[in-house]
Amino acid sequence: MQLNLARTLQRSAANGPGERFVIWVQGCPLACPGCWNPDTWTAQPRMLRDTQDLIAEILATEGLTGVTFSGGEPFIQARALTEVAREVRAAGLSVFIFTGFTRAELKSQAARALLAVTDVLVCGRYVASERVYDLPWRSSANQRVHFLTSRHGPADMAQAPEAEIRIGPDGQLTLTGLPGSKLLGSI
Amino acid sequence: MSAYITLMTPMTDEECLLAALADVGFDRTKVEVHVSPVSLVGYQGDQRTQTANLVIRRQHVGSASNDVGFLLTPTGYQAFVSGYDHPRFGAGWLERLNQQYQLHAEAKQQRMAEEERQHLEAARKKLVEAQRATICAKAKKLGYQVKETRAGDSIRLVLVKRTY
Repeated sequence: MQLNLARTLQRSAANGPGERFVIWVQGCPLACPGCWNPDTWTAQPRMLRDTQDLIAEILATEGLTGVTFSGGEPFIQARALTEVAREVRAAGLSVFIFTGFTRAELKSQAARALLAVTDVLVCGRYVASERVYDLPWRSSANQRVHFLTSRHGPADMAQAPEAEIRIGPDGQLTLTGLPGSKLLGSI
Repeated sequence: MSAYITLMTPMTDEECLLAALADVGFDRTKVEVHVSPVSLVGYQGDQRTQTANLVIRRQHVGSASNDVGFLLTPTGYQAFVSGYDHPRFGAGWLERLNQQYQLHAEAKQQRMAEEERQHLEAARKKLVEAQRATICAKAKKLGYQVKETRAGDSIRLVLVKRTY
């Protein structure tokens, strides 16, 4: 199976509990105003990855706690992500998903299959008027965190970093996570 | 008086030419270096019309020899060798000299490329460190705890503020 991705990050501490391999999928029909990643809205092919090839890369990355699906809208590519989630969980990794859909909207068979192999779900549209800076893993107050298994719990939110900055060998800065406006403005 | 024969050479770099001359037996103690060309001297002590920037005085060339000189021109050094000295220091000698010159020129080019690479690498590291220091300072000022890890040439800064 193939996935249409925006980008991946082999290691991040700001996209869910612990050290995580982060996958930003390409394509989102929700197009929330003020979205942090509007470049991921279009469903045009961007970075096509074979699921087995991606799984192999994840499993070859040492020291991971789990995998995070973000985007873009992960549930638009639920079937391929279910394959990834199932195999990485079998290898002991947890699965964390950021989705713009509400829990009630995730009723399709494909969505339910993906939820069945998910440990933590953060769901709900991004609503700019409800922007928050002090809720871990959420960027607007309407969004909800669901711990679907006992693998992770509220205690994991205690030390959740707001943001992570990478300085590449060429000096290029990459910012990920949910940074507050003061931090964004400052940097 | 033995007339000078003029030979154009492809050699353009003073440092490499001096090194090549040393290789063929004329080290720096035997070669005069002049920013402005000076007159060459014949075997009887007579000043010649030819001038050169690099001069091997006749006593280092041979008992009845004339000065050997190299004049810097826009297209390369021009060699002046007298007809008397030409059998020993003519085209064949210049060819050997040029071969040594090319070796030194190549080594110098590599050395300069490496120096340039090191210079760029130092500038890159300085930029990355400056960015790191700036971000850390700003984040700490905003109350963040900064956890830094490095992987190869990449730096990761994890910013933690919340304590729930």
